[in-house]
This record gives sequence, structure tokens and C-alpha cells, in this order.
Amino acid sequence: MAYTPQYYPGNTSVGINRRKHMSGNLEKLRDIPEADIVSIMGHRAPGADYPSTHPPLKEMGEPDCPVRQLVEPTPGAAAGDRIRYSQFADSMYFAPSIPYWRSYWGAINCRGCDPGTLSGRQIIEARERDIEAYTKTQMDSEMTDVALCSMRGCTVHGHSLRLEENGMMFDMLARSEMGADGNVYYAKDQVGIPLDKKINVGKPMSEAEAKKRTTLFRADAIPFSGTVGARKPDEALEALHHMWELRSLWGYRPE
Amino acid sequence: MVTTSDTGPVQVEIFPGRFLMPETAQRLLNEIYMTGGVKRIMIQGPNLPRAVPYGPARGTPIEENRDLLIEVGDQALELRVKVGRIRLELEGEEDIPKVQAACERALPFSFSLKRGRFFRDVSTITDYAKYGRVIEDKRILGLIDPKAKKERDMAILSELDE
Repeated sequence: MAYTPQYYPGNTSVGINRRKHMSGNLEKLRDIPEADIVSIMGHRAPGADYPSTHPPLKEMGEPDCPVRQLVEPTPGAAAGDRIRYSQFADSMYFAPSIPYWRSYWGAINCRGCDPGTLSGRQIIEARERDIEAYTKTQMDSEMTDVALCSMRGCTVHGHSLRLEENGMMFDMLARSEMGADGNVYYAKDQVGIPLDKKINVGKPMSEAEAKKRTTLFRADAIPFSGTVGARKPDEALEALHHMWELRSLWGYRPE
Repeated sequence: MVTTSDTGPVQVEIFPGRFLMPETAQRLLNEIYMTGGVKRIMIQGPNLPRAVPYGPARGTPIEENRDLLIEVGDQALELRVKVGRIRLELEGEEDIPKVQAACERALPFSFSLKRGRFFRDVSTITDYAKYGRVIEDKRILGLIDPKAKKERDMAILSELDE
């Protein structure tokens, strides 16, 4: 392709990370078995068949529609799967990915997904087959730090709280825990139902590494701008100001 | 140890940089208790329910939140919350540096010690609803939240003999 989209302006490490997240050029940090991801999501038992809401599209026969002929259905849609979700909570203490950036990643890189962004959590809904693949990509990549990000389907409280002594994000339902070997284990699935066996998801990042990989601007780390430290406004802030100016000032036409 | 201090009672809040594990909280509270100048202690933090409160897994017991016992002095209490802030009422200003030193000994991370007013000394409507019109020991005001039970969530430590 002749044109590669920039996705996000700015030259700080946060800007670079944001570009990485949006373009999907993420580093793979770990490899969690698919069966484990499916157990944590909790929608079906690993190895079980996918329940479906409608017969496969090929059997159903679709109306004669040019758009349907143009667009290739995702594997989940073609099979007629149910729509299921995975929801993440990311700590404000330098989690690599933050709700909006997970949503951007989903919207740009995942076909057939519906991302929802809230201040304390981010959810992606898609057909069951597809959401399992997308969740595996998220959990394996640098978007997810196992201590600072957690797959939580309910009772998500914790993103803005101080961390625990071992560096984990607070979880009222104690879904994940730090083992004695320094690895994080999921003891329950994303809604709090205990798992048959604990799932090892690997070691968390160190604080320094989390700060390097984060997409979060913070006043005490890399600020968005401001006069503290006499930092020159980042290109990102200029772009934001430009957008504001065009939309707000000129939209309201202050004559 | 009953001391009479030059300044009146002083209230401080310890805000640690991380949430405290029960062992660390126990160590810290014992260090503070040993300084001797403490009149009241309150622990505040996010709730740790015994069972999942809502959602698809509602009612499932949460084993990790049970039996979080801390022993301060001669009393044992079960923690219902994750230890976030510790509020103290001290005998006087001269006890503040002692509490600061106790925190530095017990906490391996940063913390801040703030002075202010954190406890009520006058009975309010919630106190009336909880304890009735006549409250003998005014120290219990503002110490536990309205839903808590006095027998389970509050302990009276004996005075230190020095």
C-alpha cells in the first residue's frame, strides 16, 4: 500500500506506543494456551462445541445483496456463533493499554467486533470464535501486563486504586493472584467462578518497563503538555488543539 | 499509659503508597500501638466481600477474603476491608514524630502522614440510629461505618503499661 496511516501524532514514547497499539504492530510477550484463554473467558468449556444462534450462513442462504457478496463473513459469523465478550480493566498506574486504546486496537484491527469504552473498563463483543482469537491476541501481546491489566467481566473496580504491595491491581473478587514464583495465576474466570486449575499467565512487567510501554499520559511521568518542566507541546497536543479549534470555534461560528 | 499532653488530642491519617497486606498492616499497627500515644485507630479501604455481591457468579464464596486476621496488642480482629488508610487520634503533637518513625520502620514503600480532623466528637443522626440516644464512651463516634457491627468490627485495646 502506498499510503501507511500515521494513526497518532507525537514523538514521546507514549505517542509511539499509541501508534503501535492502533496499527496492531505489537510485540508478542507470552503464549497462553488457547484452552486457558477460553477457560478464563468462561463462556464455554474448552474443547466443547460452539453453541450457535443460527445455522451456518452457507446453509441458510442469504438474500441477493451486493454488500453481502462483497464482504467476507468472519469465521464466527459464517458458522452462526453466539456473540460473547471479554472485558479488561487497566490500572492507571502505567498499564500498557488503556480503555480507549484497546477500543482503537479492536476497531482498527479486528473484524466484526464491537468495542465499548468506559472509564474503568473496556469490553469487546464479537462472535464467540472471533472473540476467542482476539482475546488471545490481546493477552499474548504487550498490550496486556498481567499484574496491571485484568480480564474482569463484572466488579471491575480497581483501575484507579493504588496497587497492592506485590504490584497487582486491586480485585474485589480476587480473580488473579501472585504466586510464590513471581508468576500471576488466574484462580477464577472473568466473572468470579473458580476455575478447576489455576492458569499461569506469566510474570508481570517491572515498573520501568511498564512506564516504557504505556499509552497513558500522566503528569508525574510523561505529561501531555503543560509548563511543568517547560516541555514543548507535543505534536499530539497541537493536533488536538487544531481539531478542537475547527470543531468548536468554527462550528459555533462566533461572528 | 495515661499521659497528659500540652497540646490537645491530634488526629492524623497515614496514606501508604500501596494497599497493605494483613501482615504489613499488623506490623504497622503494632508498631504504632507500642509508641503508646494512641487514643483511637480506624482502618479504611475498599470492601472485601465474603461472597460475590452481584453479576453472574453472585453468591459464590470468595475464599481469599476470609480469615484475614490481624492481632494488635492483645486483641484480634478480622479485616473486612483492604487496608488503604489508617486514621489515628493521638494524645498530643509530640506523638506525631513517634508515629512517623513507626511507619518508616514498618512500611517498605512511601507513605504520607497528614494532620486534620477525621473523627467526629459530636453524635450525629447515624450515631443515634446505631447506638441510641445515650452513648457512654464518646470514643466510638465515627469509628466504624453504619453497617458494621460493634462486636465484630471494633476492639478495645488495653492501655500499655510502661
